[in-house]
Amino acid sequence: MGGYGDVKLLRDDGLRLDGRKLDEMRPVTIEAGILPAAVGSAMVTHGLNVAVAAVYGPMEAHPRKIQRQDRAVIDVRYNMAPFSTSDRIRPGFNRRSREISKVIAEALESVVLVERYPRSKIRVEIEILTAEAGTRCAGLTAAAVALADAGIPMRDLIVGVASGKVEDTVVLDLDKAEDNYGQADLPVGILPNTGEVAFLQMDGDLSPDEFNLAMEYNFKAAAEIHEVMVDALKRRYEGGEN
Amino acid sequence: MVELVPTLLRQELARLAESDTRLDGRGQWDGREVSLEVNCLYNAEGSAKVVMGKTIVYAGVKFELRTPWPDRPAQGSLMCSAELRPVAHKKYEPGPPSPESIELGRVVDRGIRESGCIDMESLCIVPGEKVWGVMIDIHVLSDGGNIFDACGLAAIAALRTAIVPAERFDVGEDYTLKVKGAPIMASFTRVGGRYVYDPSEEEELGGDERIHITLGDEGHLHSLQKGLRGVFTPAEFAEIFGVAHLRCAELRKLVALQEGN
Repeated sequence: MGGYGDVKLLRDDGLRLDGRKLDEMRPVTIEAGILPAAVGSAMVTHGLNVAVAAVYGPMEAHPRKIQRQDRAVIDVRYNMAPFSTSDRIRPGFNRRSREISKVIAEALESVVLVERYPRSKIRVEIEILTAEAGTRCAGLTAAAVALADAGIPMRDLIVGVASGKVEDTVVLDLDKAEDNYGQADLPVGILPNTGEVAFLQMDGDLSPDEFNLAMEYNFKAAAEIHEVMVDALKRRYEGGEN
Repeated sequence: MVELVPTLLRQELARLAESDTRLDGRGQWDGREVSLEVNCLYNAEGSAKVVMGKTIVYAGVKFELRTPWPDRPAQGSLMCSAELRPVAHKKYEPGPPSPESIELGRVVDRGIRESGCIDMESLCIVPGEKVWGVMIDIHVLSDGGNIFDACGLAAIAALRTAIVPAERFDVGEDYTLKVKGAPIMASFTRVGGRYVYDPSEEEELGGDERIHITLGDEGHLHSLQKGLRGVFTPAEFAEIFGVAHLRCAELRKLVALQEGN
């Protein structure tokens, strides 16, 4: 979190700079099956964010040292395209993308029935084409839809969503300015049917009460995004051109 | 290294959880004994050693003069990283930083950074030209479980004892780095189906997902991280959040006590 409230992020009428209410998220659209070469794929737009996910496999896990005898491993690469931000990003893996890849992989392994595929690997590639705060959540949502599109059995979908704090006020779904100048960010991955949490990160400053409100917003938004995810998968398989 | 599936261990841990005990006899929310030593590395500007059961970690603070980031011309910088060298456990191999070590360093980094305990503007010498870069390097020497909490504790304790080496860099007199408060991490791992505080090596081997909570002096959250495969319910989180407040307060007292010596 950056500037700690030295930039005005709430308007006098109580709305946010882009006109949203405190508990209103940016519009989300999802399309499944957009990449012909992949076994499963999805594109998520979340506000201005654009995340694409592709699934390959299950395939033999190599190098062999990543193999698990009792289950599949999910190999995630989260990557921001060089042109995805206002300043160009140097291509390649950095510490941030490595960490995000690791925790997204662990979240996906929590819902995919990985015991069905011992010794194998499922590759999930997440490419961020436009980044405007919230890319890990958009990427996680895209990955879940892409896995479902690939026909990989799962206990539930995962919805990536975040709340945070700006000007001492809890808000749902931070945009770029709110992320840069806000006080906290709480991205989570929610299992919409069971209400469990498979992905959790947070940074900034939140009191216990603020945390509870932020989680309440997250659950509410997850239910909304879940409908969009299901709709995307239905459109893909209900009498489409598939 | 191919990880063997510790089926027997998992069964044993599940059995113990049912009778509400742990392998080493601790209660669900009990931590191991923690020893903290500060100013223990001669060439580091601030240092600490933490021993938590079979876990041993060192943290050292070094300073360098650098040009500020263009978007923060009047602010110094803070960087915290952790190394998981082969010395620490048979599961660690030589090579470039692993995802595990990157996650560890970044989770500790966020807890310290986001607590605001360092005033970044106090690290500015000449705006736009010269600022201090503070580097906290954490070295795990023995991974006996729960290295996250040990690293978090070592990092903040080392930082709080750091002396800014201004004389050596010809920019004034040495002075003690100003650090406000002590963010402390509390970690929980699901073992035998339930969460326990401060997991041991065996509990991590036969356990599931983990949750790391960093709390500031006021009990506010500054960093959260879920690691490994598994899910939790909001009710489970509420319970460990309550425990985290108690354990963090105890460790914060330990930090203050060591500094008094």
